[in-house]
Amino acid sequence: MQSLSIISVNIWQILISFANLAILTWIMKKFLFKPVKKVLDERRENIDSAYARAEKAEAEAEEHRKNYDAAMRAAKQTTDQMISDAARMAERRGSEIENEARERAQEIRRQAEEDARLEKKKAEQDIRREIADVSTQLTEKLLEREMKPEDHRGLIDSFLQELDG
Amino acid sequence: MTDEKRGGDGRFRTVDRMLIALMILPLLLCIALKVLYTPEGSGGVDIAGAMIFFEIPAPLQPLIITESQVNSWAIMLSLLALCLYLTHGLTQKAETRRQLIAEWIVEKCEHLVGENMGERYAGYEYLVAAIMGLSAFSSLSCLIGLFAPTGDVNVTAGWAILVFCLVTYTKLQGGFLNYLKGFTEPIPLFTPMNFISEFSLPVSMAFRHYGNVMSGAVISALIGTALRGLSRALLGAIPVIGNIPLLQIGLPAILSIYFDVFSGLMQAFIFAMLTMLNVSGSFPQEAWEKRQARKERRRQRTAAARA
Repeated sequence: MQSLSIISVNIWQILISFANLAILTWIMKKFLFKPVKKVLDERRENIDSAYARAEKAEAEAEEHRKNYDAAMRAAKQTTDQMISDAARMAERRGSEIENEARERAQEIRRQAEEDARLEKKKAEQDIRREIADVSTQLTEKLLEREMKPEDHRGLIDSFLQELDG
Repeated sequence: MTDEKRGGDGRFRTVDRMLIALMILPLLLCIALKVLYTPEGSGGVDIAGAMIFFEIPAPLQPLIITESQVNSWAIMLSLLALCLYLTHGLTQKAETRRQLIAEWIVEKCEHLVGENMGERYAGYEYLVAAIMGLSAFSSLSCLIGLFAPTGDVNVTAGWAILVFCLVTYTKLQGGFLNYLKGFTEPIPLFTPMNFISEFSLPVSMAFRHYGNVMSGAVISALIGTALRGLSRALLGAIPVIGNIPLLQIGLPAILSIYFDVFSGLMQAFIFAMLTMLNVSGSFPQEAWEKRQARKERRRQRTAAARA
């Protein structure tokens, strides 16, 4: 078999080698870089979209939290308002009841005093009547004893005086 | 294959096996060709270029198909099969090891080109990957007993001329007149020297790569022959053992690690680096900018005239 000498230049061989490298470059582009780059790009896109989704979700969560906080604050305010209203109302109602009770007590007392006064007057009248009766009886008894008229008079007068005084 | 087990059905694995077979088959065919065509071994030092398989008459020079062409094609086929294997069944989650390898290769090439050449030359990553793959595997092919295509000056010359064309194309971005003017700088007297330096680029690239690989092969052949002779002289008298060249064990293998593996990979890297630096370094930035500005002005003028 014939061999080339160790250094020999052949234009066709050079041309073939030139074409070989060009073809291999195309092969690399078409069969290695293109598919791998496609996958890498897709992955990058996926990651980007995942990040975007995560950020959006975070923002939404933050907004929800804010809304929730605001609602909580509003609720707390409302309940505070309600409690203070209720307390104020209770106080007012309590003082009303107290006043009423006091008025009522005074009225009862006044009534009682009135009653006592009337009772007293009645008792006085009763006593007067009783005294009159007693005096009448006494008079009858004295009359029965045949007393002197001046004695009689003087006795009654002193008796009445005593009563009035 | 652990990847395929995860991959699932049987068709998957069949395709993969076929691709792996396609990777190995061309190289085996080349070995077979080499074994079939190698003449009966002669005793002396046998240093020659690639074997010629056949010749086709053509203008200028006969078109000869040699070992280096055939081996190059075999390596290209293997690389194609490798690419197909690596990119088969790509998923977004990168479940297989080969996908990681494929992504690693792509990202490394992008990084290398981006770092050495810049944004403008993103398309050169295919060329850089091709040069690295072809050159490295060509040089390594002598490990399986093939003639390394990079040990043939025609092969590296073809690659260097491709690089030269790209360099010239890049220079022409600044306009043809600027390109011609570039030869007369810094003074017109330098024109012949500029021409020489221009054409020394492909020559130096071709011979650097070829010389490194070929010199390694020559040294290996010389040392191998010398050791055989030494072994025959020292141990020849012993009846049975004397026929075996015992001294050839060891040293050639160690030398092969340097000359074939290290030097081959190094030259592949150097060739790719020189390609990137020469192409990006030859770009006439100022002239290109001026040209773009002129184009822009012309476009505006025509737009204004139309309006």
